[in-house]
Order: sequence, then structure tokens, then C-alpha cells
Amino acid sequence: MSMKIKDIITPFSAWSNIVKKPVTVKDPFTERPGADRYRGFHKNDVEACIGCGSCEAVCENQAIDLVPVEGIDTKKGDSGLRPLVDYGRCCWCALCVDICTTGSLTMSNEYTWVSDDPDDFRFIPGVDKKPWDNNEKGWTNPGYSLYNPERVNMEEIEPDERITNFIEIVKGYSKEQAEKEADRCVSCGICVASCPAHMDIPGYIKAIRDGNLEKGLQLLYDTNPLPEICGRVCTHRCEEVCSVGVKGDALAIRWLKRYIADNVPFEDYKRILGLDSLPEAKKHIAIIGAGPSGISAAYYLRTMGYRVTIFEAKEHPGGATMYGIPKYRLPMEMLEQEIGLLEEMGVQFRFNMMIGREVKFDELYAAYDAVFMGIGFEKPYLIAIEGEEGPGSMQAIDFLREVNEGKKPEIGNHVAVIGGGNVAMDAARVSRRLGAKVTVLYRRRIVDMPSDPEEIEGCEQEGIHIEPQTIPTRIVKDEKGKVTGIEYLKAEMVDDPKGRRPKPVPIEGSETILEVSTVIGAIGQEAYYDFLSAEWLEKLKLERGRVVTNENMQTSIERLFAGGDSVNSTADAISAIADGHRAAKGIDVLLSENE
Amino acid sequence: MEKIIQHLQGAFDVKAVKKQRNDLYFVTVGKDQAIPAVTYLRDAEGFSHLVMITVADWMEKGVFELNYIVHNYQLHADISICTNIDREEATMHSAHHLWEQAWTYQRELKEMYGIEFPGSPRVDESFNLEGWDNIPPMRREFDTLKYANETFFPRPGRVSHDPATYMKQKLYPNE
Amino acid sequence: MSNSNNHKLLIKTDRSSYPQPDESGKLQVDLDSGKYVKVWHGPNHPGVTGNMSLELTLCGDEVVEAKTHVGYLHRGFEKIFERRTWMQCFPTVVRMCVPEPDSNEYNLAASMEELSNVEVPEYAQWMRTLVLEMARISNLLRLLPAHGGTMGLGLGVQWGVYLRDLILDRFEELTGARIYHMYIIPGGVRGKMPDGFKKRLISNLDDIDDFLIRLKRLVIDNAVFKKRSIGTGYINPSWVDKYGIVGPNARAAGYKRDVRKDNPYLIYDQLDFEPYVDNEAASDIFSRTWVRFMDLKYGVEMIRQILDKMPNDGEILGKIPNALNWKIPTGQTYVRSESSRGEYGFFAVADGSEYPRRINLRGPSYTHAIALLEKLLVNANISDVSAIMVSLATCPPEIER
Repeated sequence: MSMKIKDIITPFSAWSNIVKKPVTVKDPFTERPGADRYRGFHKNDVEACIGCGSCEAVCENQAIDLVPVEGIDTKKGDSGLRPLVDYGRCCWCALCVDICTTGSLTMSNEYTWVSDDPDDFRFIPGVDKKPWDNNEKGWTNPGYSLYNPERVNMEEIEPDERITNFIEIVKGYSKEQAEKEADRCVSCGICVASCPAHMDIPGYIKAIRDGNLEKGLQLLYDTNPLPEICGRVCTHRCEEVCSVGVKGDALAIRWLKRYIADNVPFEDYKRILGLDSLPEAKKHIAIIGAGPSGISAAYYLRTMGYRVTIFEAKEHPGGATMYGIPKYRLPMEMLEQEIGLLEEMGVQFRFNMMIGREVKFDELYAAYDAVFMGIGFEKPYLIAIEGEEGPGSMQAIDFLREVNEGKKPEIGNHVAVIGGGNVAMDAARVSRRLGAKVTVLYRRRIVDMPSDPEEIEGCEQEGIHIEPQTIPTRIVKDEKGKVTGIEYLKAEMVDDPKGRRPKPVPIEGSETILEVSTVIGAIGQEAYYDFLSAEWLEKLKLERGRVVTNENMQTSIERLFAGGDSVNSTADAISAIADGHRAAKGIDVLLSENE
Repeated sequence: MEKIIQHLQGAFDVKAVKKQRNDLYFVTVGKDQAIPAVTYLRDAEGFSHLVMITVADWMEKGVFELNYIVHNYQLHADISICTNIDREEATMHSAHHLWEQAWTYQRELKEMYGIEFPGSPRVDESFNLEGWDNIPPMRREFDTLKYANETFFPRPGRVSHDPATYMKQKLYPNE
Repeated sequence: MSNSNNHKLLIKTDRSSYPQPDESGKLQVDLDSGKYVKVWHGPNHPGVTGNMSLELTLCGDEVVEAKTHVGYLHRGFEKIFERRTWMQCFPTVVRMCVPEPDSNEYNLAASMEELSNVEVPEYAQWMRTLVLEMARISNLLRLLPAHGGTMGLGLGVQWGVYLRDLILDRFEELTGARIYHMYIIPGGVRGKMPDGFKKRLISNLDDIDDFLIRLKRLVIDNAVFKKRSIGTGYINPSWVDKYGIVGPNARAAGYKRDVRKDNPYLIYDQLDFEPYVDNEAASDIFSRTWVRFMDLKYGVEMIRQILDKMPNDGEILGKIPNALNWKIPTGQTYVRSESSRGEYGFFAVADGSEYPRRINLRGPSYTHAIALLEKLLVNANISDVSAIMVSLATCPPEIER
């Protein structure tokens, strides 16, 4: 390239800039706000935040600490902690915003704020008030999710097919499905507090992700010796508070638990759980009732080295899970498997032994070092209407038990089920499988029903009609005493002045008769304490039909512990299991102290 | 590419071939054959460009896996010649005579992993870490967190809470 | 091969008083003789060259020996990655090259996606390409006028930095940050174009067209610049493979080396472009400046083409595992992209866990700024040292990581 005279002159063309307007900004603080998406100082909607700590987990600089905040209480579904950001570490990547499970954490477009105190650059966004708290601009989630918000679909038998049999509806996850579902977990652990047994939920979900089911099984049995059962019928309070469920579908925690329990070969359980050689102590514990609480207590007592004998009035173990839960929700083999494990551990079962009939409570209390009582709710509340006694009218728990025992109760072609809880739903769906048309009569609205939503959905899929806001008044019978119908009043919902839930008030003159062949009552149960003599009953402190215990499940009688439906107010399997575990620890404490 | 891999297999004791993409193969050979294989690829198969020399530390297997990635500008394809060398007595033949920049890589590997390359120019001069008095820091047994905690001053009073543990303390401390 | 790259100097200078190599080929430099002086060029941060240091041994005003020293910017990222989950590496990798972080983001994302079979939506691929090209021009706006800057022509640098700022404004509104964009997230990108973005970007591109005309008059057609750059810092084309020279430096030596063409990634195969090659292989500072000038010109055209061809809307993120639990099955790969300085690659090894086993960056400066620069500086005039260094587009952070 040759040099020309032009090359000396052209650079001077730059002088033309001298007449141009400058491009600089005079006052960047006011004239130059951050862009609409700028990643500036954080904002946090502390009301919406649940303190799950996903922001802390994703932060690559450990710039976020979770700290307690005055005025924000720890409660189920909210840890009470809020993120504190250290801007000496923050790299403004906004992954914390993108992963935030509630969408509460965002960033403002503020970037010019300064302070001469370095400590000012550590603060809790949303709690420590800042000038940009109300800035609308700044980085928010770009409209994607860094974890999958959608639950992996669980395959089920089609409604048309399932009403013809008692085969388990839910098929269970495959390995691929389970790992995909487990991957959605953010491992925050908010769920643990809501689980009555406080199972290590993030731990066993991680075990699924890692493909380490043996570890998963150990974690399950640390707090729950009936995972096959809970994996199927648990009321899964954990899923209600799942942080992933705030914006998307909650983790299918229950199905994941079932996946572990179903996919570890049962013959390996003893080895994995280290039950091959258990210590044998001299102390001997009696357990009344082979339901979930009794089994749970027996398992943990046995692992602590106690001898355990379970007394069961019926022919089979399992209690309400055995007799009350229909087989399409919980196949019989599952129970038998778990009971088998206890037997192998050396727990003795004595069936058809009813306390107060075959054995006196006095003898039991005298012969054993401690007694655990998990008697459940056996006695149904009556509807207390005309015509309730006699054939054609029955109680749901009796009905369900008969069906589970293999009997086929005569119910005719149209069944009315009274009630709105899980037992009512079970009775309705079992009746449907016996070939009847089913109508559920419930006092309040469908949204008020205490049953699990998926049970109501199952009913609807299976063609069961739910008639809300109905108050039965009498069972209509023909001259031979055969049930022909049920009469009810329609009700309207009236707000309670004290702010409690609205009450159904019957509408006068709205009597309707529904033609039915059977009426099944399912409005609740209570416990029988008939096996205790008056002397014992006087000592045993009860409140509204429930046994009062301390936090170790110890009753007002020193060596008598209790748990399960007859103690706790939630009356479900997982609470019973938790009670059994607590009682086992309580018994151990008591007996160790007495040594 | 397939053909070149076959040639390699014919000429060298190839232990493993992994096709990562149509234009990227990982070919594992013994320690003594790695440099000859790379030389062969450069001189006979047109892989004239040395992309990089790199290493992955497989501490649990007791080896460093060295990778010599070479590129062919006619085929627009890469072959990485891999070889495992013992971690404890890490020595490798030098490739500085093949490419002028090779000694820079070797100097860094010496400093960061402690791999010896006898004959490589300036291999003992410090590269990034002037004045470093610890074990070669890229070796996996060098614990950065421990080192940072011992060397620097963590901010006092800093504390974070795990939600599950904190909720237990607050809601059910005795269970 | 001649030890000289500066033929003009050679002809004029009597070399008899210069140090001679001994039997082993090493130069005999006796500092006590008073004939030589050591000069440390850096490690200050002289504008664009970054904080590395050149240890120069001078005889008069001529360099007889040069050594590159790095480590002033070593942050141990590749070690830190051992303790970061794959997703946590994403905000970290950007720091491995400050002026053009997007190549790092892309390389990390591409290696993770390849190793765990994640598909990136089409719209996201176009957005990635757009951002990579924007990064290229923003870096060239800084780098190109700096060729003049090293010779005292600071004005061009000021113009360039202003225009770069306009592109950074576009980055700010698209990605939420000016320098560390953190936009190409593994699996996709982190946002769509804001309203009016296209229009503003095109207006900036028009400004750059105008700038190129002005810059050509100011620097390229400048007698001083020509006088000093033509023939200086000559890279013999036969060195290209020997030293692993890539990108614009190789194209100035007559080699067509451009990853976008050689190994098309993203949607580069759908774009119509031809990288500029100096067919005369002049391979000196002037030639490299001209290659970068054309790169910037073509880069602007390329962005116009992308904006023209790209879909208006689409998905931004593919199906990725949970960012907190992202495990990558055991495997390794090498992915590359074309940065404004040449082939930029990541060697990534996964061991089946949530954490990378190894991520190793291959930056063009690793060879350009050490083996090549040390070679080029011998016999150069001290006043040309920074010009030669800048003409290689050295970037210390990608050497040290």
C-alpha cells in the first residue's frame, strides 16, 4: 500500500466534530435510569415469600443468607425466614429471581445508590425499607421456570374400567417417571414440618434422583415403618405446603414415597434397614391394636431392643387401614408385607384377643412393663333420624369392613351415602363397584367437604352424584320394613356471625324424597373405651372422647401410652404412625429413667 | 473421519474410541503412544492445528487424563488423543517440538497439576502463581474452601438458616 | 527461519554489537555490561491490552528478548468450578473474558446442552446469534480504534467507546446488564426483544456505518498510522499452524479461519456471509487492523441480516432439568465458537454429578499473547511493543482464568 498526500490531509476531517453537539449525558443520576429489565438492587414481596431458600441454594456466591424476621412467624408452609443479600458478594446474575418459587423476589432497576457505611450493603430486601421498593422497573422472571412446574402424570385405570373391579387405580411411577418427578424438587424442606411424622422428604427425593433407593428406604423407615401404605393413602399434608406448588403443581411426594417402597425388593428390607440382629432386652411392651399407630410403636420399640406383643381384637392386623380402606386404594398384599417384616423382627401378634373380653386390662397392665393403646375409632356416630335401625341402613365402617373381608353386602341398585369425608367417599366408590347407582348427601357445599379433593374427583369420574346442602330427615320404608327412600331438606348456607364457617340452615318446605335401596351413614366415628373398667376409666383423662396425652404420648396413667385416631385430631394414618414413633421414644425414656 | 480412526487403530494400540460428534472423536492410547499418535495426525492426516492440551483429574481412579485436541482445517474436524497417566508420579513426554505454543500448556500443567514434562522449555517457571507455596492447586485434593478459610478472614457474625431445621426448632423442637 | 519480523529495521541496523546466542541457542545477555536494560511493560492496565506484563530486554531502543508474564488477573475459575453446580458456573464463566463475555456463556451452554441432550428452541438460537454478533461488534468498537490508540491516536478510541456504549445500552435493555450479560443461559436465553429494540439497534448500526467512514479517514488513511503499521509486527504465514494462530490474526496472514464458517454452530449456516481474508497475506499491524475493520463492517451487516431473517417470537428456554439438580452424565466434549479474537473453545468434562469435573477454556490469547508475542517482539522497536500487542488482540483474563 503506497502513501499518498491524501493520507496526510484526511485525518484532519476529524475537526468537523468541533461543530457537533456533544453526546455526553450531563446528569446520569436523573437522566439515565437503568433499563426496564436492569438487574439492580433486590426487592422482595415478604408477604408472598415463604422463605424456601431456593434463592440461597442457587446463589453461586453465597451472597444470600436466610434470616428470621421480626413479625413474620414460622408456620406450616412458611419458614419465617427471609433472604438477606450481601452486595459485597452478589454478582447480580438474578438466578435467585429466576428460581424463586413464589415469584416474590425481583430486582429493581436502581443502580446508583451508595452509602459510606459498608454494612448498609447487607440488608433484607422488602423488610429493610429502601427507596426502590416501589420501583416497578427491573428484572423479573423472564417467563420461564428453572424447574419443571408440571407434575409427571400418574397413570390410572380409566373410570369405566375401574368401577367394575377392586384393582388398584393408581399404577405407580416407572423409574424414568419417578426420577423426572424427583428432579422437580427444590429441596427446601418446608414440607417436613407439615408432615406429622416429619419425614425427611427432601432426603428421600434426593435418593430417588441419585438412583439410591436403599438409602431412600432407610430414610423412609427412620420415621415411618409403613411406607407402602403411606405411599398410597397418606393425606399428604406435605404436598399442600410444597414450595414448587405455589406457582405450579406440588411435588407428588406421596407417589415418590410409594415408588421407593415398591421398587426395593422386599426380601432386601431387613439387610438394608439393619434389622438382622436386634438387641433383646428383658423389658416387654404390650400394644393394644394392630393399626398403624400400634405397628409403628412396635417397630421402633423393637429396634430399640424391647420385646413387643401386639393384641388385636380382629382376625387380621392393620386396623383402619386394613378394614376401612378399599382395596382399589390399598391392595391387601402391601399390608401383609409390612406385617411380615414385623414378624420377622420378632414382634408377636396375638389375634382375636380383645382386651376386656379375652384378657383383662388389669392383667395386661400388671404383666407388661408398659402398654401402648392404639385403638382407633370404631364406633360410628349415628345420623339420628327415623328409620336408621334395621336392614337397608348401615354404617360405612361396617360396610367397608365387610367388603374388605370378602363379603358382598346386599345394597340393591341405588345407595345414598350420608357424609362428606374420606370414609363417605370410600363407601360411595365401593358401592359403585358393587354395581349400584350412588348419591352422596352432604350438609354443606362441595368446597367444604373434608375429604381429599382427589377422592371427590374420583367420585365424579366414576359417575357418583354428590348432592350438597342436603339434610336427611328420615329413612322411608315400605310396609315390610324395606328401605325405599330417604327424605331430606335442602339447606341454604348462612354466614356465622362469629366468623366460623357458614352453617347449613334447612329451607322449610323443601322436603324431597330420593328413592334408594340402601342408606349408608358416614358422618364420623368415636372410640370405644368399654374394655376399661370404671376404675381405670376414672383415671384415664379424656377430652371430647379423645385420650389426653403429653408430648411423649403418655396418658394420665403412668405406664399407659396412647396414639392414633383416638388421640390426635387429624385422624389419619400418618399421624397415627407419628404417634406410635413418639410413644416408642416416650416409653424408652420412661423405662430408662426407672432403671 | 472413520478412515482416519481406522488408520490410527492400525498404527497404534488404541484402547478406546468415543465418537462425541461427527466432527469430534476421543481416542485413547497408552502414555508412550500419545505423542507419536499426535505427530502422526499432524504430519500424515492433516491435523495441523493444536487446539489445546488439557487434563482432567480423576483422583478416584488415580489418574490424570491428558487430552491433546488437534484440528483438521480441511475436514473441519477434531480428534482428541487421550492418555491416562499416573497421578502420583505424573510425568509425560513433551510435545514442545511439535507446536510452538505447546510448552505454554505444559508449563501451566506443571504448575497447576504437578505434571512433569522433561525437556519442555521454561517448564519450571511460574505461570500464574508466582510465589505459590502449596500443592499444585488444580489437583482435586487441594481444597479451596479450606484454603480460603485458613487464609482469609470470614465476615464475623454471619449466619444462615436451613428452612427445615429452623422450622423444627420453632415448631416441634422436642421431636 | 529468520529471527526477525521487522525487515525494515534489519536492513538499517548494524547488529554486530547485539547479543549473540551461545551454543545452546540462548542469548548471552549480560545486564552488568551496561549494554542492556530491562523494562517491565505492564502490568498496568493500558487501556485495552489488559493487565499482563512484558519483561523486555532492550539493547538501545530495540527489544532483544521478551517474556510474557501473566497471573495478575488469575482468579482460579477453573478450580472454583469444582465447587459450583453446572448452573452456578453460568454466572461465573462470563468473567473469563470481560469485553466479550457472551462467547463464554455460549460455550458453557453449548457444552452442557450437548452433554445432556437438551434442545434449544429456534428463537433462542437466533437470539443467541444476535447477542454473539452484538458482542463481536461491541468488542471491535473498542479494539479497532485502539490500533490507532497505541500510536497516540486517542480520538478514534473515544469515538469507538461512545458507539460501544450505545451497543451496551442495547445489551442493557435486552439482557439486564451492560458488561456481564448472563443472557445465554444453558437451555436457551433469558428474554425476548423489548419493544422498539430492533429500531434502536438498527439506528445504532447506522451510527457505526458512519463511524467506520470517519475512522477510516482518521486512522486507516492516516499517513502516520500507515508509516508505523505497514510492515511492523509481521507474522510469517508459515507460523499460523505452528503457533496455533486463529481468527483475524490468521486471516490477515491469508488463512480463512472462522469457526462460524468452518464448523457452523447456532444458525450461522442460515446466514449469508464471507469472512474477510487478506489475500495478499500482508500479515502486519496494518493488515490486521484492516481485517478487524472489515470484521466490524461485516458484523454490522450480519446483525442487519439476523434481524431481517429471525422469527418474531418463540420459546426462549428448552426443556432443562431443575437448575438446582442438573446432573450431567459422564462424558466430555470440546465446543468452540468464533469470538472477535478467533477460535474460543471450552473443553468440558462431566462425571455424572451436579458438578463439572473440568471446564477448560481455550482462548486465542493463550497462544497469541505468549508464544507468538514473545517471538514477534524480538527485534521490534520499543515504541512498537504496545502496537504489536494490541494488534494481536491479547486478552489476559482468558489466559489466566
